[in-house]
Amino acid sequence: MKSRNRTLTILVVLTLIVLTIAYVLPVYVVLVTSLKTPAEISQRQYLLLSSNLQFKNYAQAFKLILPALLNSTIITFSVTALCTLVGGLGGYYLSRTRTRFSMVLFVMVGVAMYLPYQVILIPLVQLMAKTGLALTHLGLIGSNLILNIPLASVLMGTFFLGIPRELEEAAEVDGASKIHIFFRVISPVAFPAYVSVIIIIFTQVWNEFLLALTLATPRTQTIQLKLTEIKGTFVALYNLQMAAALITLIVPLVFFLALSKYFIKGILAGALKG
Amino acid sequence: MRLSLILTDSQECFTFLWPCVKMHYTQNGIVVVRRKKTVRSKYTFIEFLIFKFPLMFFVGLLYGMLGWTIVVSFTNWHGTAPNYDFAGFKWYRLMITLDRFHVDVANNLKWLSLGVIPTVILALFIAYLLELGSFRRLESYIRTLILYPVAMSFIVTGTIWSWMLDPDKGVFNTILRGVGLDFLQGRFTTNPSTATYWLILIFVWQYLGFSVIILQSSLRTAELREMTESALIDGASRLRILLQIIIPNIRSGLLILISLLLISTLKVFDIVYIVTFGGPGTATDVLAFYMLLATFQQHLVSLGAGIGVVIFLLAASIVIPYTIYAFKKWFD
Amino acid sequence: MRKIVSVLIVLIVFTAVVFAGGKRGEATGMAAAEERKLEIFHWWVGPGEREAADEWFKALHAKYPEVEVIENPVAGGGGVSHRVVLQSRLSAGLPPDTFQALGGAELKAYVDGNYLLPLDDLWTELNYRKVIPGPLANTFIFNGHPYGIPLNMHIQNIMYYNKNLFDELGLTEPKNFDELITVAAAIKKAKPDMYPLGLGTKEKWEAAFVLDAIILGEGGPEYYVKLFKGEIDVTKDKIFRTALEKLAKLKAYTYPYHANLTWDQSVSLVVAGDAAMVTMGTWAIGAFLNNKWTPGEDFGALTFPQGKERYLLFHADSFILPKNAPHPGTTMDFLRVTASPELQIPCDVVQGGLVARIDIDPKVFPDPIRQEMQAYIRDNPTKLILDQHGSIAPASFSSEYWAAIAGFMGEDRPDIDKTLAQIGTLFTTYEVKKDAAWYVWP
Repeated sequence: MKSRNRTLTILVVLTLIVLTIAYVLPVYVVLVTSLKTPAEISQRQYLLLSSNLQFKNYAQAFKLILPALLNSTIITFSVTALCTLVGGLGGYYLSRTRTRFSMVLFVMVGVAMYLPYQVILIPLVQLMAKTGLALTHLGLIGSNLILNIPLASVLMGTFFLGIPRELEEAAEVDGASKIHIFFRVISPVAFPAYVSVIIIIFTQVWNEFLLALTLATPRTQTIQLKLTEIKGTFVALYNLQMAAALITLIVPLVFFLALSKYFIKGILAGALKG
Repeated sequence: MRLSLILTDSQECFTFLWPCVKMHYTQNGIVVVRRKKTVRSKYTFIEFLIFKFPLMFFVGLLYGMLGWTIVVSFTNWHGTAPNYDFAGFKWYRLMITLDRFHVDVANNLKWLSLGVIPTVILALFIAYLLELGSFRRLESYIRTLILYPVAMSFIVTGTIWSWMLDPDKGVFNTILRGVGLDFLQGRFTTNPSTATYWLILIFVWQYLGFSVIILQSSLRTAELREMTESALIDGASRLRILLQIIIPNIRSGLLILISLLLISTLKVFDIVYIVTFGGPGTATDVLAFYMLLATFQQHLVSLGAGIGVVIFLLAASIVIPYTIYAFKKWFD
Repeated sequence: MRKIVSVLIVLIVFTAVVFAGGKRGEATGMAAAEERKLEIFHWWVGPGEREAADEWFKALHAKYPEVEVIENPVAGGGGVSHRVVLQSRLSAGLPPDTFQALGGAELKAYVDGNYLLPLDDLWTELNYRKVIPGPLANTFIFNGHPYGIPLNMHIQNIMYYNKNLFDELGLTEPKNFDELITVAAAIKKAKPDMYPLGLGTKEKWEAAFVLDAIILGEGGPEYYVKLFKGEIDVTKDKIFRTALEKLAKLKAYTYPYHANLTWDQSVSLVVAGDAAMVTMGTWAIGAFLNNKWTPGEDFGALTFPQGKERYLLFHADSFILPKNAPHPGTTMDFLRVTASPELQIPCDVVQGGLVARIDIDPKVFPDPIRQEMQAYIRDNPTKLILDQHGSIAPASFSSEYWAAIAGFMGEDRPDIDKTLAQIGTLFTTYEVKKDAAWYVWP
């Protein structure tokens, strides 16, 4: 018993050390770089803390990225919310219906999930252009929606499949409508699944680069684009880029941490079962 | 012999495209038992709008666009203006002769296997480790630690990693030199033969936090805990518990995780774009990246569409069997 | 749950409505009076370029203050990202009023796609043919009609070197390949930790730059043009083979970890003392300046190679007029401003290129490097040849060619025969001979 605990502790400590190095090192480099001047960065002493700390980089970066940060937040939150909603509704339908049509649809959605969106990039842009949405926030929201709904539906669908029907059948006997059942009966039970889906979709949309690149304009520019732009192509301002990256970190991190509270609560209530 | 048709109640008979039919031999003859259609009442129009329609609409759009791409791959669109003349398999035939295409497929396969398996194993290991003790505070620390890559933007983490892996002054080699382990230095992503593997490492690094979170939620169920405890009382080793109790029971979580990782590796673009831009030469090129270059830099839109179709076929050939297998297992 | 959902839906709809403005201006066709708006599409968004773009609009507003400029710049430089958006919009029938394009094969791609309107009248009005060098004009004329207004020139084949180092070691600037090897060997001997030639091949075209300089020295200008017009069989040709062999020789003195470095990082190599020289275009001057190096003191530059004859590989940025531009009248006014010294001088001085008009006094440049080059071009306009960026050969060939050469430089033991075979195939696969036939030199 004792030796088992010891091996356990050793393993844990080792893992901790490896993980800490692997994940703290890059952040350290980001931090150090964000406080340098471009000339210092050229020296490529990545671990060296500058003797002349440029805190003004942060002020400059903040001013530059604020609009983009706002855009990203709006777009990501909208897409996540809509995706979760449609995914939940659609997934529910897929999981509870056994017609040939719904099964085929389920498979189609499943395959669509794996589609690398580059495959449909041109037609997507053309679609956006023809509907006049190309240069607006709605366009970006719509495009991200199209790409992420299959994922959300399949995730929710597979989860709903695991929920026994007794709950719904009981509610139906009481005369509840499907809509009522969905929102009042099923969804609370599916809460942890919703949280997982939200995290996953949020991540995908927040980090979306190529799509935003294709469709964005200065007004609708997302943070990923802005980060690339800040660095510039003519003169490489990595210092600003790194400072901006650290500032950007705040939004999703806060969001995740807030969610993880719900996450744990939901888990302890007996969540995603095996 | 008489054939009677007996309708039974909602027996969960999951077959794909054909109705469940069973035949019984009874005293009176052959009885054909057919699964009754779903017990559910049909959807009202409003319910249809809310439940079915949005999903169908978006999936329809998606497949419509996929269809467009497939069609374009058979046209002769090269140059900046659309050209819808039928060109048959011209571009596919060209594709097969291109060295770059073969490099791409090989790379994509490497990504698929090496991107998914190590990540899952590592994530399982870490998640399990966190379960074994009551490391509450430690857990939030670790969780934040490994989650931030996802929050920070792949663009930036990609740039940082290219600095870490710079053979000349990069962080890794500098540290190795600093502790006297000069001989362990590597050329990482500047060596055509090993470049892709390092990119995959970056991917694993980025997605580890994500994976651990997903697995953790599966691990923390009351049932699993009960099973684990009783096994412990019986004196089973932790390892045995992991292999024989835990893994079989977190199938859903594993399934989801593997699916997500498969998707991400098939789509991989950002890492290649930021760190090596397909280089050295074309050593780390992947289909998604080549597709972009072919379509927009070379202006060979039909070729790009063809590459897209190949990506789709690759996805389909791996994914469809996997999905069917997963669903079947799910329903058993 | 329902409450959360409904709140969310309301929020989304609200934000969408608030931001959903900005639909593309009603394409009303022939409105009675055209709105004075200019929707311009360019990639000069990063530091160093942003200021240059601002100069355009300053010059525009000096002459036409009422014009409202709507920019849709795309980050990522003149690379793929820009073309992604542009091609998508063009093929969707939504051209901006004007967009930035490089003269040469890139411009030709848009001309062939039937997206642009010829500018014969404008060129006659501005007498532009006389005011810019002949070879520059030729890269904008297709099927006998001019299609753009170039506003600058960038020279590709420049060898930058660490002047302080050269003075310290008593070296003179290398004027041809043999001198380059000698200088490199000397540097290697004196400073074993330094790599004589810096290089970064992440964007792929950088290695082709070096090879271009060697080819120009090996075969001369006529050969260079013939090569990229697809008229040479590289598998059998002696000159190209020798050029590759020389490149392999140079590799020994080149920074080996170039695969992950961008062009500006290769400039940083020189600044940091990791390398002594770098082959780059005029735009590197800005990068040096940003690192606080002074031209003529900290670093020197010369077009490479130079012999009795001296040729410059160039490309130019320009603006064009698309068909169905929403505001063609305003665009034409902008093009007039683009052709004027009032725009070219401030823009090009800031951005790091040369001016397109040779009637502008070279003294407008603050650094001696560009003054000299501009003067040389003014006096010898026929010495300009189109370079890798503007491109003689079509883009389908160029991007694969760059990858091949970058790969050649990345291999441990470059395989010349394999590369020759590879490039030979590229010429035929992408029908270079047919697509590059338009180029005439000088």
